[in-house]
Amino acid sequence: MTVGAWICLLAPLAGAVAITAAGTRISRVTAAWISTGSVAVAFAGAIVAFVDMLGKNPQNRSHISSAWTWLQAGSFKVDLSVLVDPLSVFMMLVVSGVGMLIVLYSIGYMHGDEEERRYFAYMSLFVFSMLMLVEGGNLLLLLAGWGLVGLSSYLLIGFWHERPSAIRAAKKAFVMNAFGDATMALAFFVLIAHSNSLAFSTAFTTSGHLSSTAVNLVALGLLGGAAAKSAQIPLHTWLPDAMEGPTPVSALIHAATMVTAGVYLIARTHVIFEHARTIQLLAGGLGALTIVVAGLIALVQTDIKRVIAYSTMSQIGYMFLAVGIGTYANGMFHLMTHAFFKALLFMAAGVVIHALAGEQDIRNMRGIGALMPRTKWAFLAGSLALVGIPPFAGFFSKDSIIAAAMADGWEGWVFWVCALIGTFLTGLYTFRLYFLVFRGEPSPFVREHHHSDHGTEGPWTMMLPVGILTVLAVIGGWIQFAPFWTPITRWLAPVAPTLPSAEPHRWMELVASIAAVLLGLAGIGVAWLVYERRSLRVPRARSVQRLFEHKFYFDELYDSLFYKPAAALSEWTRRGFEEPVVLAGGTELGDDAQFIGRGVRRLQTGLIRTYALALAGGLAVLAVVFIAVK
Amino acid sequence: MLGPGVSWYLGIAAFLFGIGALGVLLRRNPLIVLLSLEIMLNGSNLALIAFSRQHGNGDGQIFALAVMAVAASEVVVGLGLIVSLNRKRLALDVDKLSTLRG
Repeated sequence: MTVGAWICLLAPLAGAVAITAAGTRISRVTAAWISTGSVAVAFAGAIVAFVDMLGKNPQNRSHISSAWTWLQAGSFKVDLSVLVDPLSVFMMLVVSGVGMLIVLYSIGYMHGDEEERRYFAYMSLFVFSMLMLVEGGNLLLLLAGWGLVGLSSYLLIGFWHERPSAIRAAKKAFVMNAFGDATMALAFFVLIAHSNSLAFSTAFTTSGHLSSTAVNLVALGLLGGAAAKSAQIPLHTWLPDAMEGPTPVSALIHAATMVTAGVYLIARTHVIFEHARTIQLLAGGLGALTIVVAGLIALVQTDIKRVIAYSTMSQIGYMFLAVGIGTYANGMFHLMTHAFFKALLFMAAGVVIHALAGEQDIRNMRGIGALMPRTKWAFLAGSLALVGIPPFAGFFSKDSIIAAAMADGWEGWVFWVCALIGTFLTGLYTFRLYFLVFRGEPSPFVREHHHSDHGTEGPWTMMLPVGILTVLAVIGGWIQFAPFWTPITRWLAPVAPTLPSAEPHRWMELVASIAAVLLGLAGIGVAWLVYERRSLRVPRARSVQRLFEHKFYFDELYDSLFYKPAAALSEWTRRGFEEPVVLAGGTELGDDAQFIGRGVRRLQTGLIRTYALALAGGLAVLAVVFIAVK
Repeated sequence: MLGPGVSWYLGIAAFLFGIGALGVLLRRNPLIVLLSLEIMLNGSNLALIAFSRQHGNGDGQIFALAVMAVAASEVVVGLGLIVSLNRKRLALDVDKLSTLRG
């Protein structure tokens, strides 16, 4: 049953290598189809692994398949191995399935770009990295996948490398993620120091015997990596800027796969986090904080993709909250439904951006829905799923997280309040976007710039994935409806069982659902009043507005805390050390060499006889010395 | 042992070497310089063979053969240079061929 997993892992790598090796010998369209095909093969492999696993006893579903010893240092040994268990198969299905749709969508979206082959090679590389992250059979391979997704995300965000803003965004994302990688590596060092192994099982048993300081440090390091990758406060500032990449990249990396890696990591290493309960609650707290802060910032953004990006942060906040209080299955379930509807929102936004020749400002997009009815309906379905209105997908996954928060003591109540505020904000900013962009009469800008592809809203490669995801955004949540049927919870139970403290009562489920749906509807209603009927004015409060528009001054804070001191320090060392010592020293050395050379040059007369005379003279002197000494 | 002692041979060898060295130092025609070089080499060959004979050891004679081979190849190169100098109608005077001066 590990064969499927290996196929799933290696197919995208083969695709990336094939496109890179073939270079310009294959057409751009061929490269695109190789990439799509490789991810489709990966999806097929994931399905094979899944079907295989269905036939097994739930207690017997975890397998590690080693290919060879990857590295060995003394008694420390790491295998190149894949871990196939319910959690990794779940992630494989989500990553390769949604990934396949998005790569297919890219064919239409990137058509006509200068460097399509490079793009598709990167896409395959990314899918491979992500699969390596979720399938890695030990913590070191997980970290390798972790770093590789950081790299391919950097490459894809900076794909349009002629734009300085894209390069800046790519660097920012890379540096932020590298910080997370570093904290994770430090956590691994602590583990190696105590158990001399990075296997999951050893790490989990060891974490039970560690001192509370050590296990807290390990969990904190892991949390740092998770927060950086998943764009949670305080390591979130890279995600909105990363919208500089092509829209399918945003859908793939910044909605469906990479940013959820942090949630996966915490669910995967939940044993360590349960031994460090404070850090686990900290993860939930960061999630709760992010839900509210990202929701508030999303209210004032004017770039369609940035609104969705902040919404992604906020939704991952829910997942962090879920894994923070210990209801891992609900977190993973929300991860899955979020992958559906958020990829859908990004791709529908991409269809609009594509039709408007790259325009991303929602103030210019008013009324596009009249010209693109299908995209409008798709976006509406995604929005309703995001807000969590039944029977759309988000309702089932989000509400069980909110209910679980109620069960979890006093901090659970704090989380609960944050989550409910988040629901209201979600309704508000999502439908602000919807009403502003899709409703009303088309604006002059839209009329002028809108161009349709042969009478349709986009090529079929773009519309088909949007259609499939629309269906999934509607029905994708039906597979689990706590407390009535819970296949995902049962599926994940052997790997990540829900903590008893996060098991809500039935009345909690009911209260949470009603409250969340009502607040979501209230958000939609307010958005309708303000942006559709325009009977309410946007309240004006300069300072608050400025606070939101500056994204709570996080960028400015990091600028003055880290960037400016570092820049000042390097300026100082340049003036104080490099210029007087290194540069001046080099010049001095060169001057001296020239001076000596000028003197020695005189010996070079060009007359062979002088050389011969020097030789003979030297010989004579040597002979005399020889005889005298003898 | 028949014939004169080794010092005679060494004297002749030194004499040949000195003639050659003076020729190299004093003459300007590259052809003559080359000839003088050959004379120097032959002087040293003679010394090698004389010592080889005195010690009853063949190594020196083999060495002399090697020197001859080197001398032959040197003549090939040197004469080739002189011929091509002549073809370019450059002066056959080593003092005037001083473009390597620093």
